[in-house]
Amino acid sequence: MVTKEYKLTIIKIIKFTIVFLIVDFVLGIISNQLFYSQETGKYARSTHAVEKTNAEIIVFGSSHAHRHYVPKIFEKELGKTCYNAGAEGQQLLYHTALQEMILKRVKPKLIVLNIDENFLYTSKQAYDRLSDLHPYYAGHSKELSAILGLKSRFIDFKLFFKSYQMNSTIVHALRYYVSPQLDYHGYRPLYGKINPNKVNSHTKEEVKEYVELIDDNFVEVVEKFIDNARNNGCELVFVTSPTFNKVNHDKNKSFIRIKEIIATKKVPFIDFFNSSDFNGKSELFHDFSHLNNDGAELFTKQLTKKIMDMNLINYNKKMIE
Amino acid sequence: MFFNSIDFFIFLLIVLFCYWCLVNKSIKLQNILVLVASYVFYGWWDYRFLSLIAISTTIDYFVGLRLYASRDRAIRKRWLWVSIVCNIGLLGFFKYYNFFVESWVEMFFAFGYTIKSTWTLNVILPVGISFYTFQTLSYAIDIYKEKLKPTKDFIAFATFVSFFPQLVAGPIERASNLLPQFLEQRKYTYHNVSSGVKLMIWGFFLKLVVADRAAIYVDAVYNNIDNHEGLSFIAATILFAFQIYGDFAGYSLIAIGTAKFFGFHLMTNFRRPYFSASVSEFWTRWHISLSTWFRDYLYIPLGGNRVVKIRWLFNLFITFLISGLWHGANWTFVIWGALNGIYLIIEVLWFKKDRKGIATIFLTFCLINFAWIFFRANSIDDALHMIKVIFTSPGRLYIGSGDDIAASIYATLAIAILLFVEFKKEYFDTLFSISKSKYEMIRIIGYAIVVFMILYLGVFGKSQFIYFQF
Repeated sequence: MVTKEYKLTIIKIIKFTIVFLIVDFVLGIISNQLFYSQETGKYARSTHAVEKTNAEIIVFGSSHAHRHYVPKIFEKELGKTCYNAGAEGQQLLYHTALQEMILKRVKPKLIVLNIDENFLYTSKQAYDRLSDLHPYYAGHSKELSAILGLKSRFIDFKLFFKSYQMNSTIVHALRYYVSPQLDYHGYRPLYGKINPNKVNSHTKEEVKEYVELIDDNFVEVVEKFIDNARNNGCELVFVTSPTFNKVNHDKNKSFIRIKEIIATKKVPFIDFFNSSDFNGKSELFHDFSHLNNDGAELFTKQLTKKIMDMNLINYNKKMIE
Repeated sequence: MFFNSIDFFIFLLIVLFCYWCLVNKSIKLQNILVLVASYVFYGWWDYRFLSLIAISTTIDYFVGLRLYASRDRAIRKRWLWVSIVCNIGLLGFFKYYNFFVESWVEMFFAFGYTIKSTWTLNVILPVGISFYTFQTLSYAIDIYKEKLKPTKDFIAFATFVSFFPQLVAGPIERASNLLPQFLEQRKYTYHNVSSGVKLMIWGFFLKLVVADRAAIYVDAVYNNIDNHEGLSFIAATILFAFQIYGDFAGYSLIAIGTAKFFGFHLMTNFRRPYFSASVSEFWTRWHISLSTWFRDYLYIPLGGNRVVKIRWLFNLFITFLISGLWHGANWTFVIWGALNGIYLIIEVLWFKKDRKGIATIFLTFCLINFAWIFFRANSIDDALHMIKVIFTSPGRLYIGSGDDIAASIYATLAIAILLFVEFKKEYFDTLFSISKSKYEMIRIIGYAIVVFMILYLGVFGKSQFIYFQF
């Protein structure tokens, strides 16, 4: 009698598993189509970077990369095509995984990584937001498995299911279909400037005290990011974006460690922190952390000049003009 | 180990395999296995607090036997007090000690006295302590009232106290329902497993799709009240109503479903509470295991409604006040409980008992939501500020930015699905239902789609269950 119940259970489990896999496959394909049909929005930009771009210069980084690096100025000043693959709220784990997926297909001449001073500090969000990469797992499991594995031991099992790969993507897809979010080769400008009334309270030099700890995984991936670029024959430059306030980073362990890695690995580094061309200039900033379009254009112009001065890329201004 | 983790699934499969395949011939061995599994499950969080469960178990086991053995009323009373003092003592020490010390200090400060040494303790709240202490306490009280005979089987009793599906967040089981099940032969049936799976699937939908989605908006507003206005507070409170329902009812369903795999039947803990037409009805549908516990072990011993009216109203109020305190060591919970008590008093005094209709359901929902403001707010000041802003400055509705907008849309979609399912169950239960279809394939496809929705729309790796902190 009990054996009969066991058998019945096993048969039902098999039936359910088969039906679920079919449902997952069919609805997963529809979700997949919907996902890859996006033309604007954050997923459309990352998909373009992973699957389509042939740009000679690719920019990586958080919102500071996304909002500060103007591809058309790179193209105008250096004569090289450029794509801004910066992603808001993302950190080194994401950028390194994205870089690996891109390098599988194309080898850009120059990779620019915009460094945030706190990139190496522990951050739960940095792990949580890796879910933005799940939709690419089907085609890039080899590149993604190690980094996504830092978030969950069972990630390969979970991502076996298309429904999990496409988790939380449908609203984005529909939202940007209804209301497109335009970008210019990945760059989305910010407009407006800081309210002058708020400026006074933010003009003094900041000396922050940091209590956060360094995450060893983040240290590993920044080194991996460098090695990936080198192994694929790409020039690499690390850049810090301008800030509204002068910031003293002497006590910032994350930034100190990044600079040590930069020195050890001999990575070209262009530091715009505390640049007098930007500090305190409210007309160039959208908020205290992000440049507006005018600031971004000025910053990108200055950056391209430094890239030329450092001979990081064989620029050909006339070719584009 | 959370229910919404793969660790739990692996753990469950291993325990189930051993339970039904290796030790299925012996009740004793099955109980030992479940006991060990329960201690492993609990120890996964913090093994140090296993000793508290062991202490509570041992005390009530012996108290039960002593109570039964003695015919002397005074001695019996003394043994009952041993159980009450030990269980409430554990709860009071770990959950309320700091709260009461700090409250005394604040009270003295309000009268102009400053107490420098506060003697607060640096202890964390053991997970589930409010649940298992109440469960063991009810065992001793039932034996004292001669409603129950104690068990001599220590293993069965220890397994009853620590049964892992309901150990950390209920349902708070009565010994009269659950304990006999540990003494009887359990039979493996496909029906039990099937209904367990169905309950778990719906439980996960409530938790991962409804509660955790709503939580994103709720947290964004409640943790940042200075930047929001009245309409956002209303929206966040309504979403919180569904968050806490999805979270807790979801946990209960998963617990009940898991227990079914082992052949156990736990009590229903929620019955579509937001379709209640009065607050008193709400409390017959919300956290039923706790509200009946308070009814049987506090409200009725106080005299219930078989006393003069003023005393009856006092009994109602004090029961809800203590129920509020049970939820957490914070005055916000006390006020939440008091508000519910006041609602019930008003209903007793001025409203008819058998009210029905959409208007009364809506009014009840509004009243419950008003009380939820205190339950969720980070402090009483926050709650009062929010209430003031709701009535004076509706402002604009915050819909989030970036991914937050998506969270609000997912939450709304999930709540719409939940309400549709519950509305049908409440009013048209006999109509066609996928889960009751005579065609097996329709049932299987229906549940496969729900699982797909959980994986496609759910929030993963974000949070534990709210009621664990109680």
